[in-house]
Order: sequence, then C-alpha cells, then structure tokens
Amino acid sequence: MNEFNKAKQDYLDTPIPEELASHVEAGIWQGRENYRKNRRSRYFRRSLGGVAACFVVLVGTLNLSPTVAAAAAEVPVLGGLFQVLTVRSFTDTNADRTLEVEQPAIQGDGEFTQRVNEEIQRRVDQKITEGNQLVEEYKEAFLSTGGTQEEWEAHGMGVSVTYEIKSQREGVVSFLVEFNVSFTNAYWERAYYNLDLTEEKELTLADVLGEDWVSVCNESIRTQMAAAEDPTVYFDESMGGFSSVDETTLFYLNGSGDPVVVFEPYAVAPGVLGYVEFIIAS
Amino acid sequence: MSQIREADLTRFLVEEQARFYRLAYSCLKNREEALNAVQTAVCTALEKRDSLREPDAVRTWFYRILVNVCTDQLRQRKRVAFVPPEALDTGSYEDPLPEDGSLARRVDALPAEVGTIIRLRFYEDLSLKEISAVTGCTLSTVKTRLYTGLKKLRVSLEGVEIE
Repeated sequence: MNEFNKAKQDYLDTPIPEELASHVEAGIWQGRENYRKNRRSRYFRRSLGGVAACFVVLVGTLNLSPTVAAAAAEVPVLGGLFQVLTVRSFTDTNADRTLEVEQPAIQGDGEFTQRVNEEIQRRVDQKITEGNQLVEEYKEAFLSTGGTQEEWEAHGMGVSVTYEIKSQREGVVSFLVEFNVSFTNAYWERAYYNLDLTEEKELTLADVLGEDWVSVCNESIRTQMAAAEDPTVYFDESMGGFSSVDETTLFYLNGSGDPVVVFEPYAVAPGVLGYVEFIIAS
Repeated sequence: MSQIREADLTRFLVEEQARFYRLAYSCLKNREEALNAVQTAVCTALEKRDSLREPDAVRTWFYRILVNVCTDQLRQRKRVAFVPPEALDTGSYEDPLPEDGSLARRVDALPAEVGTIIRLRFYEDLSLKEISAVTGCTLSTVKTRLYTGLKKLRVSLEGVEIE
C-alpha cells in the first residue's frame, strides 16, 4: 500500500498553473451565457408560439424554406410599430445535432429592405451550412477514432442562429444576429445591423458621431478604460490590446440612440470578460 | 428533486479547481489541454446544470463531465498524434514492467479507461459505486477493470482496500 501512497503524493504534487483560475472563470462565464440563452429560447417557444404564428402570415411573402416548418415568430412591439420580424423560426433535430434558427428581417417593400433581407438570408444560410459542416467533420473524426454512434449522440451538439433587437426608434433599428456552434470549444460570431429605414441606408459610426468619430470613440474608450474599477484588466496596447476604432469596429445603438462599441472576447481584454462594450455619448 | 443554485455550483467549481486540474492533467499529460478541458467541463456544467438531479451528487456529476471531456480530447488527439521516433522506447508496446519507474508512471501507462478508474479510486478516494456513476460503466465493469489494472501494475493486492 505504501507504493500507492507515494503515487498519490506525486499526484497531489502536480503543479497547478497560475492561469487555471482565469480558465475556470471563463468557463463559468461562458456556461452561464449558454444557460441563459437556452432558457430564453425555451421560454419564447412556449409562450409566444401560438400568438405569434398569426403574424407569420403578414410576412409570408418573405422566404420560408419549404423543407422546414415555420413554427413561431417573435414579435417585438418596441416603439409601438414593429420593424423587425422573425421570418423563419424552426428547430430541426436529427441524430447528429439540433439546429435552432430564429431569422429576422426588416419590414418594408423598398429595394433597400429587400437588399438587407437578402443579405441576412444569405448570411444565415451560409452559417447553417458552415455549422452543419463543422458538426459533420467533428463526427467523422469522432467515429474514426473509436467513438460509437451512441456516445456521439449523447453529446447533444447544437447549431443555432438567433437575433436580438437592441433598439428601434424613429425609423432607426439596431439588432444583432448571433451564430453559435456548441462544441468542445465553443464557436460563435455576431453581426450587427444598424439601419436607418427612412433614409434607407446602413448607419456607420461616422453617421452617428460626425466627422471626428475616430477620435471621439478613442478618447471615450480610453477614459472609460482608465476609470474602470481595475484598469489593468484591459490589455496594454503593446500586448495587442485596444489601439483605435476603425470601419470594422462593431457597434449598435442603444435605447437612447447612443452608439455602443463592442469588442469580441479576447480583443481588448481576457476572454473572461466576454464581449466588452463601451457607450459613446453622442 | 431540487435544483442546485448557480451560486453553490460556482463556489464548488472555484474551490475545487485544483483537483479538477490534477485529474485532467493525469489523463492528458499536457498543461494546455488540461486547462482547456477544465474550462470546457466548467462551461458544460453551468450550461447543463438542470440535469443534476441531486445537489449532493455534484462531485460525481462533475467528474463525469470532466472525464468525458478528457476522453474526447484523447480521441481527437489520436487522429493527429505525432510521436517523434526517439520518444518511442522499446517497452511502449508491452505492459509496463515493475522496475520501470515509479508506480505513478506505470499508472499513466495503463489504457485510459483503466487508468482513470485507478486514479479515481486511489488518488481521489471515490468508492466503486461513485466511480461507476462517474464513468457510466456498470459496477462489475468497474471491478473488472480495477482488478485488471492492479494486476498489470503488479501491485501486491495485500492490504489494498478495494471497496
């Protein structure tokens, strides 16, 4: 038995890396997000399904894939008049994965509306294809290395496309489309849409903040970073942290019409913090 | 049936993180992979926390998630395994010999499913019933593997408490 005590001691002496705590925190953050998201979509399916199905007819002219049944639509009533609608909502489960899609579209019949909706449609279709491909590749690898079909199915792989409306006011809508593949390592992507439906154009930070938008944003972000409870959480510029906003910087408009700049996890701070947002007062 | 509170689960995961890492590292023998495995398991635990029926069983429930993540990782690794020729010693195709390094080393050389059971029993002090819950094997499979493992390790069974 002595021998095992020695082995156990060796085991207990395994050095624990310093980064362990931040990995655990990142896991907690991510798991919490996923949990909330799952709950939210369950809730909407249950409570809004019946009522909202009626509204699908309203936008029936928009693409409904013939292979899938549109189950329900979520109708936002922000601002009294709804400008963003769900045009495709379905859950498709097969042995390999569960696919959940909530696809939005903006309302209207102009050329601009059509162009935007087509763009969303294209992106969603592409993401579904990509998601299915990833799952398939992973499955192949899993089975070819000794996994059984049963074990594979126990994984409960999920591919999802969802959206969230950030604001709708005076003909301006702001929403994001999020794409997720649940994997051993999570894979996600967001696209933000900021649209002026009256002017029929996609808004840029320059439209909202004026000519000096770059310096306005940078100054505001730097001030907010410095004023944070712990400014050292943000990566230094020399460590690849924040340097400047540009045309590719993600943003949305909040309820008061102010732009909110969004950085993806790991872009300006450790992944633990998730998406990092800065409100730029205009 | 009661559900675990998020705060309780989070506290458990944070407090016991060193144990999780040790277990993951003992399976994977790679620092980065072990860190990622713990992160993935923690994420899954929070995401699927409603599947835990008995808050008291949180330890075995979480170990099961962690062991599954590690097993997946080993499996993924197999398809890209690159072992430099000099790392292959002549003994690696045979059962490890007793004079071959310490017992800990010999445990590592066991097949993954046997090694895990030995570690859970002797390092983590889980009962056979708990191990059966963690690994998803029946109690008799656990026993068989444990005996096979001990036999391969050529450890004297005298005085070793199995149950």
